[in-house]
Amino acid sequence: MRWLLKVELTRLRWRRAVVALVAACVLVPAVIFAATAWNTRPVSAAERQQVQQMIEAQAQDPYVVKEVQRCVARPHRYGVSQGADVRATCESRFVPTADGYYGRSPLRLDTEQHGSGIGVAIVLTVLLLIVGTTFVGHDWNSGSMSNQLLFDPRRARVWAAKGAVVLLAGLVVAGVVLAAYWTGLWALARHRGLEVPDGALSGAYRQALRATLLAGFAGLGGYALTMLFRSTVATLGILFAVAIAGPLLITLLGFPGHERLMPQNNYAAVLLDGIDYYQEPTACLGGDCGAVRRHLDPVDGAGYFGALLLVVAVPSVLSFRRRDVP
Amino acid sequence: MSELVIETTGLRKEFRTRSGALRVAVQDLDLAVPRGGVHGFLGPNGSGKTTTIRMLLGLARATRGSMRLFGEPVPHRLPEVIGRVGAVVESPKFAPKFTGRQNLQLLAGSIGAPGGRVDAAIETVGLTGRDRDRYKSYSLGMKQRLAIAATLLKEPQLLILDEPTNGLDPAGIREIRDTIRTLGQTGVTVLLSSHILGEVQQVCTSATIIGNGRLLASGQVEDLLGAGTSYRVTVPDAGVAAGVLERAGFAVSTSSPTGLAVESGRPPEEVTRTLAEAGIWLSELTRHRPDLETVFLELTSGDTLGRREEAGR
Repeated sequence: MRWLLKVELTRLRWRRAVVALVAACVLVPAVIFAATAWNTRPVSAAERQQVQQMIEAQAQDPYVVKEVQRCVARPHRYGVSQGADVRATCESRFVPTADGYYGRSPLRLDTEQHGSGIGVAIVLTVLLLIVGTTFVGHDWNSGSMSNQLLFDPRRARVWAAKGAVVLLAGLVVAGVVLAAYWTGLWALARHRGLEVPDGALSGAYRQALRATLLAGFAGLGGYALTMLFRSTVATLGILFAVAIAGPLLITLLGFPGHERLMPQNNYAAVLLDGIDYYQEPTACLGGDCGAVRRHLDPVDGAGYFGALLLVVAVPSVLSFRRRDVP
Repeated sequence: MSELVIETTGLRKEFRTRSGALRVAVQDLDLAVPRGGVHGFLGPNGSGKTTTIRMLLGLARATRGSMRLFGEPVPHRLPEVIGRVGAVVESPKFAPKFTGRQNLQLLAGSIGAPGGRVDAAIETVGLTGRDRDRYKSYSLGMKQRLAIAATLLKEPQLLILDEPTNGLDPAGIREIRDTIRTLGQTGVTVLLSSHILGEVQQVCTSATIIGNGRLLASGQVEDLLGAGTSYRVTVPDAGVAAGVLERAGFAVSTSSPTGLAVESGRPPEEVTRTLAEAGIWLSELTRHRPDLETVFLELTSGDTLGRREEAGR
């Protein structure tokens, strides 16, 4: 098995398509990182001055001045209590603040976990799924699979060795990229002198770990599917069709709890340590007809993807063991 | 009886076509290849040669029947014997974007063969200098050589070669034939599947002929050819001589007023004595020996199917 693992690792390393995809796994998150850094950049003195001038101009606007005066005169009409600093409160109601003009918030690790962090995780998941697919699809397309089996006919072992290498490579690539991404954001926040809330970095690393597992196993899933269909094109076509038609079909069937089966909900549940979603009631007989709030925890999401992987991997191994190899 | 390296009993392979029809590729095939020498495996296109080889090597499942390699039942015990078997099945199949050397290194790595064996195999098949080129840039002949180099990585005791000289130039064909012959003489058993009958006749010591997935004949090449031997006899009156020989139990056909063709199976002196006793003096007797092509065509033509099976065994 050691020899097989070594050989499959070499084969993976030598495949140019795999190298290109791994490069994309680094480059695309790097671009997302740069975009995040740009979109959360600190406000410059010039911007600050410009915004201040705009605010002052707004404050002098006759409509604003009139409304502030009315508010000060009759604060109860504007929901302002008498005891408070009435003028300041009224001004805050009608005079715009600087934050509203900047159009961007400072970098926050906890916010990014619901933003760019999800984007990076999705990119890695898709790219590593294609890595698993193209790696073994090449063996089938070239016909070299039969040549490999002439040297080691233990098909279950061959399947396992290739799968282990795809999984391992996926976990390493995703793990390194995500760790670098979050460490980079943390370092950037520190460099900008921003306060990082307690637990924000550890929360980001926990999300990175979950994203790594999702991306690594997506690679394994892509590999298992290609071993079943014996073609990269067929596998990607089926995945594309399922991605488009699957949620549509689930929605159209409209059975209760179909939100639970949506891949994106389960993905988000794993990545974000659980999510809430709303389920429409099946019947509305004069009672409470509002949507019911449900919680999907990460274990449910992991179970969903585990079941999907099992549904693909078991037939894949059985088919590879039993079917004739061209 | 010498030990059998390949043995199949009642081997059968069925599969369904896309239209759902059942197709039998191999029917109850009993194949026996003894240790040592070069054994030819002949049959027209679609006769089941490659399917048989693929079943032996575990690439295809047999529907029925049993197979043994080196006495071990396959495919159950194939992992134990595959290290002693080198094979080229149909056209060579390697990763097109890897170099020839990389392809061999991956295969050698999967069995833990030392790196030096890759160099030796490349040198043996004459690919030195082109081994670092991509496989897809190779000519058909070079691909074939690389496939043979791959079989040598294991230092095999049994070589199964499916049309190994396809695409080679005349010099390459001669080299490969010499290599096969040499391997056969050094104790390696070679199963040579080929449609080039002259090649089999030149290189093989024994042969099996199949048609429509069935065994038609099997045995030493000399025996297969010998079973078809006849005598061409020249006498003053072919008609009279034919009558004499027929009464003595010979199968005779008249080819001209003075020429006869006498089926063999009995020594030539019996022909001369029979004619002499009848007072007929022959002026010429020549042994006519068919080549393998004639035997092959006769066996696979359909109307004589199985006729030579017993004689050849």
